[in-house]
Amino acid sequence: MQPKPIEEVTVTINGRKERLAVDPAKRLLDVLREDLGLTGTKEGCGKGECGACTVLIDGRPVNSCLVLVGSVDGHEVLTIEGLAQPDAAMHPVQQAFVEQGAIQCGFCTPGAVLTAVSLVDSQPAADEEAIRRYMAGNLCRCTGYTKIVSAVKTAYEILSERKGAGRRKKEC
Amino acid sequence: MTKDCRKWGVGARTVRPDAEAKVRGEALYLADMKVNGMLHAALVTSPVASGHIESLGLDHVREEPGVQIVLSADDLRGANQIGIIFDDQPLLAAGRVRMVGERLALIAADSEEQAWAAVRAAKPQIAAEPGVFDVADALSPNAPKVHDSGNLIKEFVMHRGHMDDIESRADLVIEGEYRIGGQEHAYMEGQGAIVIPGPGGTLTVYSSTQCPFYVRQRICRMTGLAEADVRVVQTVTGGAFGGKEDYPDEPACCAAVLALRAHRPVRLVLPREVDFQGSTKRHRMVVRHQLYALNSGRILGAKVEILVDAGAYAGMSTVVAERANSSCIGPYHVDAVQVSTKVCYTNNLFGGPFRGFGAPQVSAAHEQQMNRLAWKLGLDPVAVRRTNLLNHDRPTLATGEVLPCADMGPKTLDEAVFHSKWQPRWNESVKSVAGVIDPEAQGDRYRDGMGVGTIVYGCSLHHGGLLLDRGGASMILQADGTVNVAIGVTEMGQGALAAARAIASQGLGISQERIRVREVDSAMVPDSGPTVASRATLIAGRAIMDATKILADRLRNIAADLLGRVPAPQLEFGNDRITDPVSGRFVSFSEAVTALYGRRENPAAVGWFRPPDREYDDESGQGGAYIFYAFATQVARVRVDTWTGMVQVRQVTAAHDVGRAIHPPSLEGQIQGGVVQSMGWATMEDLLLDQGVLQNPGFTNYHIPTATDAPDVRIVLLEEGTPEGPYGAKGIGEPSFIPGGAAILGAVSDALGIELTELPLTPQRVRMAVEAAQTSSPEGK
Repeated sequence: MQPKPIEEVTVTINGRKERLAVDPAKRLLDVLREDLGLTGTKEGCGKGECGACTVLIDGRPVNSCLVLVGSVDGHEVLTIEGLAQPDAAMHPVQQAFVEQGAIQCGFCTPGAVLTAVSLVDSQPAADEEAIRRYMAGNLCRCTGYTKIVSAVKTAYEILSERKGAGRRKKEC
Repeated sequence: MTKDCRKWGVGARTVRPDAEAKVRGEALYLADMKVNGMLHAALVTSPVASGHIESLGLDHVREEPGVQIVLSADDLRGANQIGIIFDDQPLLAAGRVRMVGERLALIAADSEEQAWAAVRAAKPQIAAEPGVFDVADALSPNAPKVHDSGNLIKEFVMHRGHMDDIESRADLVIEGEYRIGGQEHAYMEGQGAIVIPGPGGTLTVYSSTQCPFYVRQRICRMTGLAEADVRVVQTVTGGAFGGKEDYPDEPACCAAVLALRAHRPVRLVLPREVDFQGSTKRHRMVVRHQLYALNSGRILGAKVEILVDAGAYAGMSTVVAERANSSCIGPYHVDAVQVSTKVCYTNNLFGGPFRGFGAPQVSAAHEQQMNRLAWKLGLDPVAVRRTNLLNHDRPTLATGEVLPCADMGPKTLDEAVFHSKWQPRWNESVKSVAGVIDPEAQGDRYRDGMGVGTIVYGCSLHHGGLLLDRGGASMILQADGTVNVAIGVTEMGQGALAAARAIASQGLGISQERIRVREVDSAMVPDSGPTVASRATLIAGRAIMDATKILADRLRNIAADLLGRVPAPQLEFGNDRITDPVSGRFVSFSEAVTALYGRRENPAAVGWFRPPDREYDDESGQGGAYIFYAFATQVARVRVDTWTGMVQVRQVTAAHDVGRAIHPPSLEGQIQGGVVQSMGWATMEDLLLDQGVLQNPGFTNYHIPTATDAPDVRIVLLEEGTPEGPYGAKGIGEPSFIPGGAAILGAVSDALGIELTELPLTPQRVRMAVEAAQTSSPEGK
């Protein structure tokens, strides 16, 4: 086996600028999980089919198993760990997933949450069909998606409540 | 209606205990863990389904970078045997291979990348031999023998009443041969294990599993280690559905063998494609069903033959077949039955447990038989079910068991029919199944239809597994008033921890947030059997109730003293207090625990649950097969594109006899998820096997439902309790899945006016059925 070329890749991960000395052909997923210990990003298939490894690159959801780390040089990557620091309050989307019981085995959850974050950030409102279409790249085998869709709707309500646009009905 | 915002006890709508760690990405799954000095394992597997091993071709593998150990069958020191019920399956193939994906050799290397790269250097030479690929051929005299013992693994039967009597009384016989497809579990987290050798030959095993005690048992058998020396810790498990019942033992045994040889920790995580190609699947079955009936729609009995494709190794196929055998008549009263279920070897991927455990396949058949009887007689399929469902006047199942809850069948049917606004296509116009699609007619491209599936499910293990049907829970009251609970059944996503916490909270009358329930550690709780058969809430729940009763009795005496001369038995637990209902005076739970510690009394208890003994006769298939039964009815509403054959399941109404909702959000999640998984099985998940090779070992070509495919799921809960269940709860994991396929098969048939007999109803199958019907119909020409 040839020794692998090492290059410097500069990338902002969860708001922190990292200068990584890596093989630029290494998958972003492996850099996150192995080199940086960010194991909240899951590998479900390794082929861009399941969405479990979704991260946000410049705010857009991307399967990190299909991204070579060299290609994110100069870009911003957000993983589930960066969405809310361990001691800080959860992001409204996380709060909504928890409240709505949208989490079962949890393996698809970080990826699904990040896709939902990019939805609520990029579109001011979305109806059920639009939510389902947007979330279709994140496979979930447990929930049947009902509660995930409810969670995204709830996230919109939490966000509009924060903007002072009326109080939502909270179950408990 | 105001929402119940109680935070203690069963029925409280609390946030599940594992939710926040999972949503923050903090929950540690198997592949998230690292151990110092850990090696990574990989598998060399067979590309051939049936053949003789001429050479393994491992010479170059040993020279690959990073490779530390390479093991084949000849190198194993312990028993080369991994079969869970029959000793028919080697850990590593010796001499011949019987299925694709069968392990030929194990590799351990310094990195995961190196380990799997080394696999590519293996050049096994396998001389292909003829194989058996259709279960319908397995028992023919000319079929190649998959094992020397022959291709019939086992036959189960069920006999009741006099068949010749009903044959002479019947006005008509509905005959059908159903070919029901398999299914990949598609848990989002794949299979894997980490094994860490410790001092004195002990092992600590981290496993993504439903059944840590199975993992321990099989590692002990293979290595000769003592059960007390093998500690199996279940890691946070990313979905299972039966796929992590017995199969996880295989990666765990592989890692254990390598770890003992290397004296180093070994991790094995299966890449998705290896997982798809090597792990167990839902069984493919052929069900030949003859239903004897009167012109009134009353059924007299049935003759059923079931062929179960076990694949190349028996695994748990016989146990699955036992449930199929007991379930194939459905929730109906019959005078006579004659059932034979044959479990056969083939060279296909081996079958295993999968949510429903053989019941969904036979339910699709018995429900379509009921539909066909109705259509034949010009009756509503719901009316035919009402005529034949068990109830308090005729409460005896085909197994001879009398069900005290027999009225729950008709009740679930009534609820599902009402809430779904039942109106199948047939009674819109012609009082029979609507005519064949007219390819010329505009507006006839999309056809809507409705179908119904009613089932009864025996909760927990069949009588055949009675020895394993027990379980424990240990509880410790900590001095600050928090509580630790260890249970012997596993959380795999379904909400077992939430249910266990709710039951402990009810037993002690304290807030759920005081209670911590952990994943299973085999060194901390007694072997509680497998977490399968919709038994987790029952087993953990009853064991916890036993433990909380012990602890509550101690606290009751202490509280009685603190309250002064109050009779202990009258004290009540609730709202984090122990209250005298007569005076209204109370002590807080924390005060009582502090006093318990002050008196140096025992703050711990181990609870146990042992379901009652039952009588069952294997020779006749008659007797008490299960502890209790849960009924369910689901109604599916579909739209079929007759041009493309695409089936869209638009809505499923699910009415379930749940006994009691212990943790309502988890219960709802189980039903919603079960319905959608069943819809995937019935409409899109097609295991394309060619000479035993899976042609679609990934999510690109093996489609599971996405958010856009999933139907609107409407849930109706019937909570009438059951005396044996914890606070009345029955099981829900599998009943949520079983009726869906049947309802969809009926709905698509209703939409098209074609009596379909195959699942899954992929676009290809639906189109072929439409074309066949058009060709054979006079007006279609």
